[in-house]
Amino acid sequence: MALISVALGRLAQAFLLLLAMSLVGFLGIHSVGNPVFNIVNIETATPEDIRNATIALGLDQPIWHQYGVFISNVVRGNFGTSYIYHMPAFALVISKLPATLELACVAMLIAAPVGVGLGLLAGRQSGTVFDRIVLRSSVFALSIPSFWLSMMLILAGAILTGWFPSGGRGATASFLGQEWSVLTRNGFWHLFLPALALAIPNIALIARLSRSGTIEVENLDFTRFCRAKGLSPRRILLRHTLPNISMPIVTIIGLQFGGMLAFAVVVESIFAWPGVGKLLIDSIQLLDRPVVMATLTFISVTFVALNAFVDLFHAVLDPRVRLSS
Amino acid sequence: MESLPPQWGNCTQKTKKEGTFIMRSTKPFRSCLLSMLLIVVMSWNIFPGAARAQDELRIATSYKLMTLDPHYANLNENTSLLSHIYERLVYQDEKLDLKPGLAVSWRATSETQWQFKLRENVRFHDGSPFTADDVVYTIERIRDFVKSPNGGFRSYVSGIKSVSAPDPLTVVIETSGPVPNLPLSFSSIFVMHRPGQGFQTTQELNAGHAPVGTGPYRFESWSSGEMLKLKRNNDYWGDKPDWPEVTFRVIESPAARVAALTTGDVDIADAIPARDVASLKQRGAKIASVGAARINFIQFDVERETLPGVTDKSGVEIANPFKNPLVRRALAMATDRGVLVDKILAGYGTAAAQVFPNGLPGTSANLTPEAPNYEEAKALLAEAGFPEGFHVVLAGPAGRYPGDGESLQAIAQSWARIGVAVQPATSPFSVFNTRRAAGDYALWYGGTSGETVDVILHALLASPDPEGGSGALNFGHYRNQAFDQMLAKAQSIEEGLERNNALAEATDFVMADQPIIPLYHFHHIVGYGARVAAYAMHPRGWTTAMQTLPVTE
Amino acid sequence: MKTEILRALKKRPYGQVLTVPMIVLATYILLALAAPVIAPQNPYDPLQIYGWEASSSPGTPGSGGYLYLLGTDGLGRDILSTILYGLRISLVVSITSAAIAALIGLTAGVSAAYFGSWVDSAIMRLVDLQLSLPTILVALIAIVTLGPGIDRIILALIIAQWATYARLVRSVALSETNKSYMDAARLMRLPTSRIIFRHLLPNSIAPAVTLIPIEIGHAVALEATLSFLGLGVPIDKPSLGSAVANGFQYLLTGQYWTSLFPGLALFGLIASINFVGEDVRRHLDPRSRPV
Repeated sequence: MALISVALGRLAQAFLLLLAMSLVGFLGIHSVGNPVFNIVNIETATPEDIRNATIALGLDQPIWHQYGVFISNVVRGNFGTSYIYHMPAFALVISKLPATLELACVAMLIAAPVGVGLGLLAGRQSGTVFDRIVLRSSVFALSIPSFWLSMMLILAGAILTGWFPSGGRGATASFLGQEWSVLTRNGFWHLFLPALALAIPNIALIARLSRSGTIEVENLDFTRFCRAKGLSPRRILLRHTLPNISMPIVTIIGLQFGGMLAFAVVVESIFAWPGVGKLLIDSIQLLDRPVVMATLTFISVTFVALNAFVDLFHAVLDPRVRLSS
Repeated sequence: MESLPPQWGNCTQKTKKEGTFIMRSTKPFRSCLLSMLLIVVMSWNIFPGAARAQDELRIATSYKLMTLDPHYANLNENTSLLSHIYERLVYQDEKLDLKPGLAVSWRATSETQWQFKLRENVRFHDGSPFTADDVVYTIERIRDFVKSPNGGFRSYVSGIKSVSAPDPLTVVIETSGPVPNLPLSFSSIFVMHRPGQGFQTTQELNAGHAPVGTGPYRFESWSSGEMLKLKRNNDYWGDKPDWPEVTFRVIESPAARVAALTTGDVDIADAIPARDVASLKQRGAKIASVGAARINFIQFDVERETLPGVTDKSGVEIANPFKNPLVRRALAMATDRGVLVDKILAGYGTAAAQVFPNGLPGTSANLTPEAPNYEEAKALLAEAGFPEGFHVVLAGPAGRYPGDGESLQAIAQSWARIGVAVQPATSPFSVFNTRRAAGDYALWYGGTSGETVDVILHALLASPDPEGGSGALNFGHYRNQAFDQMLAKAQSIEEGLERNNALAEATDFVMADQPIIPLYHFHHIVGYGARVAAYAMHPRGWTTAMQTLPVTE
Repeated sequence: MKTEILRALKKRPYGQVLTVPMIVLATYILLALAAPVIAPQNPYDPLQIYGWEASSSPGTPGSGGYLYLLGTDGLGRDILSTILYGLRISLVVSITSAAIAALIGLTAGVSAAYFGSWVDSAIMRLVDLQLSLPTILVALIAIVTLGPGIDRIILALIIAQWATYARLVRSVALSETNKSYMDAARLMRLPTSRIIFRHLLPNSIAPAVTLIPIEIGHAVALEATLSFLGLGVPIDKPSLGSAVANGFQYLLTGQYWTSLFPGLALFGLIASINFVGEDVRRHLDPRSRPV
């Protein structure tokens, strides 16, 4: 029962969040400028054309009225039509989703094993040179601004060596009715650098987490018992330590997945990767309000849902975690 | 637990709850992961990249095709790509001269009546013949039916009183007043086929119910803002197109277009940034370029008494200095166009002294861009009463035109040398327009293009008159009656040398007053790969397969 | 066993006084302070910039009578000078915003803990709302709404950061309010403001202070990212982030210096702040012990 009320509370809060965010975003875009100037050809349009366009988009109405219309449409699942692309805004976001999703997935597939591996090794040999190197470089890795990291990857991986393409999505193949880059060799080649840019900070993060977890577990009685029993260090590490530290790691993977959606804004812009993040930045520049609102809503919902999912995951698996706290 | 740098702070707080917890490895998860991996590995070769046909032309374009309705928006973004499918009555060639398209000839039968003779034996993609009735339908659709928020092409047909088709190959157009350049309007209008009844809606066309035109390529498939696939029209009336298949990929990021060309993903990439040309050439790509039929300029507000951001050196607001032609002249004289053209545009621009590149019809041979002369400019400023110079905010859009943001800063460097302190202020294009319309700016960077010199003069420099439609881009409210009369006189002359000379004379007259500072005509730059033998540039900046000559083995 | 002994031997009661990151950071601050004196060019003064010398490679002699040690950007600005001046902007923006955010967060957190009931829930709901979105997204929405400018960027960063402080301070203050000295203060009928500012705040401040250096590092990165996306500082006064952004469009042309050097400077700055921040946290926070 308690679980249900907590879940309802979370839902209400998430709802409030979305409402607040939509209001701020709506007013924000409105205060920035008039999207009409992106819709008419300013070089040939007459003042009358501009007036007609304003009326056609409903921009002549007072802002609170526009917001009301927007909200009532959203309730009916309609985010409006993109000013620029003349197609439903939410469908546009969804059509860009596979690109972002595969990017985040590949980044996580790189980050999780490498990070956990480094962390386990460093934690078991805590205090050694290797440990120090891992620890130090993790601070460095977390200090690199993601946009500069991306640029340096382009410089090193594409311009100087020519090993990877410097941007774009490459060839795609159709699967489940969507276009995916991972499925083609060329597409994967394009995917690698941006995925690495997203993965590097996460490698550092996961490594630090697994390292401290490993140190804690190594000092617990059962590991000592295992050691006393004569199990090989490898077996202890993989069969006993790893499962015991997996909880926080799974948590961080879940949370960082949401974070990647947000950080993808930067990485996608630099690699010209046509995903949700790039759509957000482009739409902000073009004041394409329906698309901005749909993208923001989508990212927030995903982020909140991932948070909730992670909490739920704990509640189900760990009786000691009290959701009410 | 380790302390972590802050970006990840939220997460650490979450995980602090954990403590240690004994958990066994979850088998289902592992097998799921395994199977996912398997799928990826196996499918790697099952799904090869899009099969590259030997005879397919692949073009990376910056023009995002937004609609398949040829009458929806008058933007190069659409017309460039749609010109494969649809055709116009009149074609504007590389010298901007009018050539027969779907019409073989045209003439004015009276002051207010035009007659167009149509081409014989032209068929639409669905097999039906092209007749005068289709032209009537097209004009009616634009004038009466398409209600696009951006006005579409309505301004081109606004002068038309009635259209009739006395026989299947003749169209007669009555205009409400004299419209000597009516044929020019028809170089922008795509002819559609009349369906059984009523009008085709934009939605129907966007849904891809095969848009039917007479053009050299047939529509195959599209994805809004992403790609357009075309197939050769084997029944085309003119020269048979060279490429059996054409695929346009919309790539908006210049860097990504350049990358796609270097890796051989595409055969042609348009709107190449000038700074990337050298490295592209190094990697074996070929470059074609042409001075664009357009102008980027600085425009002054010459109407208001005081202007926002214009102060003397101590920060006190001063009377509008740009009302004085001497000040405008001095600033023009102090503008180093060489830096703009050679450094910022890396040589892919032409310094400007008038609205079109010298040599195009209607331009003046007397006007040539001058090197900066800071001494004389300073003297002019002193003569105008500003020996110490003044402060201005120079506004402009960012990322709209090649070299826009950088130009503002380069101009700030030039003008500082005559004591005019410039604070450059850039914003995204729509923000810039919003603020300019709100009167927030004193002078600004702008750009415009047009079919001909008189179109630009009419919009940019003629006195603003919402009724008559002149001065639509004259946001600085420059008024010069003598020039208005000269322009009106020139525009009443029929296309030809006489008209062009009159336009050049009007240009000479108005530029002496320096209502704008012409900066440069940037070049359209197209890069192409090994499978293309040559690419014929068009000053209007279109990117089409018809301009592309294949390498013949 | 051996490592533990080694560690115990190495451990000093107050940690090292001077660490490499501290020296680096101090150098950065000195350079920023001295920029107008030591920079060869004032990149904000158009009279000192020569457009014809744009895109010079590192080591080219310039008209000003000095060497373009790190080259020039696409407009002819000396990269070295741009870095030194950009450093000032980055530091001013991040330190100001972190300090103000800390102040607001502190006040909000302490107030929430002290007053409880609706004040608490109102403040904490707001905090929860904000922290349930990625920081970069909050900053992005804020800057889009506020518009460009250095003051706006500071404001946007404050908005993005105050909640972190508020949440931390509230949890500490909450445990303080139950302590006996607070009861004593209340019994003495001291004015509320005095209780909050003279008693509760000083006792809850330590963890927030340890957060400040790390949040400054965060702010530098955020400002750089926003400026990179073209949403930050004015174009003629580049920060480190927008200097890198200016270089981005030249990346493919082989003009590596326009983005490499400002980026390196930025990276070094953030890294040294993060290292120092971690040291500070380790030494000030009694709960975390050096591992």
